[in-house]
Amino acid sequence: MHQAVVDPLLPPNLSSDSVSRRSAPEKGRFGDLRGLQWRINLGVLPSSVSATIDDLRRVTADCRRRYASLRRRLLVEAPIPKNGRNSPTLEMDNPLSQNPDSTWSRFFRNAELERLVDQDLSRLYPEHGSYFQTPGCQGMLRRILLLWCLKHPDCGYRQGMHELLAPFLYVLQVDLERLSEVRKLYEDHFTDRFDGLLCQENDLTYSFDFRKSPDMMEDEIGSHGNASKANSLDELEPEIQSIVLLSDAYGAEGELGIVLSEKFMEHDAYCMFDALMKGANGSVAMADFFSTSPVPGSHTGLPPVIEASMALYHLLSLADSSLHSHLLDLEVEPQYFYLRWLRVLFGREFSLDKLLVIWDEIFASDNSKVESSADENIDYGFRILHSPRGAFISAIAVAMLLHLRSSLLATENPTTCLQRLLNFPENVTIEKLLQKAKTLQDLALSIDISSPSLLLVGSHYQSKTTSTRAVSLPSESVSPKTPLNFIPDSYWEEKWRVAQKAEDRKQDGVENQVPTRKKGWTEKMKLRLRRTESDPPPSRVLSGQRGSKPSFRRSLLEDLRKALGAEENTEHEQHHDDILSEQDNLSEAVEVEQQESSCNSDNNSDDNCPSGNSGHEEESSIYSDSASPPNEANDHEIASEKNSAASFLSLDECNEALDTSPIDSPLPLSDPPENIPPTSVCNNNDQGNNQGNETSDTSTSVSPSPISDPSHNLPQTSGCNNDDEGSSATQPKDGKQNKFQWFWKFGRNTVEAISEKVGGGAAEATKSANIISNQSNSPPPASPAANGHCSSVSGRGDSVDQNVMGTLKNIGQSMLDHIQVIESVFQQDRGQGASSENLSKNVLVGKGQVTAMQALKELRKISNLLSEM
Amino acid sequence: MVLVLALGDLHVPHRAADLPAKFKSMLVPGKIQHIICTGNLCIKEVHDYLKTLCPDLHITRGEYDEETKYPETKTLTIGQFKLGLCHGHQVVPWGDLDSLAMLQRQLDVDILVTGHTHQFTAYKHEGGVVINPGSATGAYSSITYDVNPSFVLMDIDGLRVVVYVYELIDGEVKVDKIDFKKTSSNSSAH
Repeated sequence: MHQAVVDPLLPPNLSSDSVSRRSAPEKGRFGDLRGLQWRINLGVLPSSVSATIDDLRRVTADCRRRYASLRRRLLVEAPIPKNGRNSPTLEMDNPLSQNPDSTWSRFFRNAELERLVDQDLSRLYPEHGSYFQTPGCQGMLRRILLLWCLKHPDCGYRQGMHELLAPFLYVLQVDLERLSEVRKLYEDHFTDRFDGLLCQENDLTYSFDFRKSPDMMEDEIGSHGNASKANSLDELEPEIQSIVLLSDAYGAEGELGIVLSEKFMEHDAYCMFDALMKGANGSVAMADFFSTSPVPGSHTGLPPVIEASMALYHLLSLADSSLHSHLLDLEVEPQYFYLRWLRVLFGREFSLDKLLVIWDEIFASDNSKVESSADENIDYGFRILHSPRGAFISAIAVAMLLHLRSSLLATENPTTCLQRLLNFPENVTIEKLLQKAKTLQDLALSIDISSPSLLLVGSHYQSKTTSTRAVSLPSESVSPKTPLNFIPDSYWEEKWRVAQKAEDRKQDGVENQVPTRKKGWTEKMKLRLRRTESDPPPSRVLSGQRGSKPSFRRSLLEDLRKALGAEENTEHEQHHDDILSEQDNLSEAVEVEQQESSCNSDNNSDDNCPSGNSGHEEESSIYSDSASPPNEANDHEIASEKNSAASFLSLDECNEALDTSPIDSPLPLSDPPENIPPTSVCNNNDQGNNQGNETSDTSTSVSPSPISDPSHNLPQTSGCNNDDEGSSATQPKDGKQNKFQWFWKFGRNTVEAISEKVGGGAAEATKSANIISNQSNSPPPASPAANGHCSSVSGRGDSVDQNVMGTLKNIGQSMLDHIQVIESVFQQDRGQGASSENLSKNVLVGKGQVTAMQALKELRKISNLLSEM
Repeated sequence: MVLVLALGDLHVPHRAADLPAKFKSMLVPGKIQHIICTGNLCIKEVHDYLKTLCPDLHITRGEYDEETKYPETKTLTIGQFKLGLCHGHQVVPWGDLDSLAMLQRQLDVDILVTGHTHQFTAYKHEGGVVINPGSATGAYSSITYDVNPSFVLMDIDGLRVVVYVYELIDGEVKVDKIDFKKTSSNSSAH
């Protein structure tokens, strides 16, 4: 019908088709017939390998019959008035009738719907106007959409459905093109080889063969082949053979069963669309994402789109916590962009030929629910992550976010961030993106199966989103300082990255381009994953996560604060959930570690980042990940991995002790000690295991306490005070940023690992101080480290030292202030805790406080030293 | 398929306050493509109300209309049909079929819609139709006091027009239907 029109489109598409065929040899049974393969993957046609061509044909015919009857039933032409006056139905069936069942009102409803659909269809893929804008195609699209919407009145027509449907029609058309191509090829091929045989056969049995047209040839062959010439068919390539059998007009179900048929394109497209929208008994049904009411059976009680968006952020937080926290900081909620991505399955972000490749993969993943043995109650977690397909969709979205990572991290306000998200770059290497997505899919599926506490995470997310929403709407005054923080945060991160990059360049020059420097994407992923999973391994902090860690912490803190402002219960849960989710990651940490080893070997066969500036940016992020020379980094990581494993064990214990109480007993939130002990004790254990170093011990034990601080006025006011100080402190440091890098770098390269950990601990300390003062300057963590190594690193410029001294003094001052605040808080806590808590908790509280107080004393000593300098 | 609403002689506010509520609830925007009104609205508010139902509004002038810019007669072509519009107080004797047929020939229309008598009538005449939609508000006329509110909706589809007559009798809306087919020979003769 539209062959001539489609032709110009075909070459690129066919080529991409063939490319993907080559790259993915494990493609399905009918890999070169995309439309057919999709129909199988979507569940329209039987997917089992044992299904014969005849089975396919029968199912096809059934689908078409269903569609035809539906069309007959639902598509109302203008009502034809019956003859005869005063017919009893006239009161009901007149154009102004208000009875919703009358043909007229049905007609008006359809007309309304049609107008709505037409509005969208007329703008569908204008760049592919040659095909999609043809009246025939528009007619088919309109009828299919109308029928589907009439069949599912509860869902109705929503914008975006047409973009889900259009590619189906397109691939079916492309299949037909391929068919006719094969037909031509095959005709020559065949007549040369089997001419004699054919004539013989014709003479003997088929009288009608003589009036056959060249187009009929193949049908002919099919009919022959089935009977007497099976051997000749077998000699052909199996692909061609199946095509012949599929388009045989004399096979099962006759004309109606021709699987690739131009006449029934509309029917087939409807079946595919229907299968996609309803999910074909799988867990991902696109129709859900168009509805605003929660799906029955979802535990969150949220609209599926929101739930899917939360799943996206959850996956993102596991894949790249810094990006996740950055987006949270900017209050860029996932549904702002994910709605658009999800509803048309990324149709707006990629051009059609790329989209088809992506859809290939999406449909190739199984849509059935993953039945994990652990869950009796299936309803936990995110529904979308239950099936490989849903997980893959989320994974693609995360991969897209990661692709934009550096440009997103550089944004300072939500608007530009969204702009970048909604204008996804054109020049993406699809293969890379898909590869990334596949790894993420594995991750997504593994979380869903392995963690039984996803329910909590879900509610945690829910509370988080609701709380942020609540805060962002009326009570901006709850966290008046947050806007201030956005700018310095990303600013420092950027600054740091630039510095790091420049330095790496220099090093590169010296080291003559160490090949492993450019880490493969998977490697990078692993690094990021690991970063989130191992809670606070100090060496990790040292090895370049200065920027992200504080922000992550800070975001937690802020969230808590907001939650406190909004609702006390949420805070409680949230905090606990954070711990829990960290705990969950233990299993992955181990798993990832195993993968790591294989990954390292893969390093050499890595793929370079895509060209263009985005690629550059990404590369820079690689540098930031692997800032230290690779060997050393690996050593560190392995060591810290062990440490973190140990620490996780202790974390586990602590959490288990507390696991039941905070959840079961809805204690009033004003009992913060409950929150303090687990973290502080755990961290103590952690640090103790790692180093047994007193200074670091103090530092980490301080950090959790402000989080669970009940009297939020105190830190807030102190934060206000320190803001001035901090800003005055930052300004001189501004120019020295680079030099700190040097200190740091130098220290890391020369000093022993242990001393690094000391530095790391110190960094932690200042960081925690930083958190209190609510500003995420990266220099403060840097300076103690630099200080720690100052003695060993001799031969630095005097002027630098002067500056460092000045800033150190400032820091010391601010630390002292903070310590005072914390101490006062502890005093209060002791009084409260004793009165309101039961005994066992009291013990824990006491322990925590004792250690915390000791830590504070140590810290005070240090800061005194600092300020004296 | 085109729906044309024909009505007239509302006489708001002099003889009636408003359209009957039942009519108002039936007349919703989005269904009707054209409105032809024979006149005597009489105020601008009614004109505005009709505009809300359908922006394509054609009005001829009745003797009580405030608006003097309305034409005495108007013709328009919808689909294959040519429609003529006139209030009818100019055509004497009022409501007389022969006189109206003369006007129909004069305007050279297939369907002539007139008003003024406040009585619904519809004649098939000389291959055309002469319709009087009556008074939409049921206002009394100079001839009768006993008037049922009524209006007409024409469904014009190709060579066929179905005239739906809506009449409010004892608080109930009665619907009647008249089928009219224009023969192709007839149209060629014109």
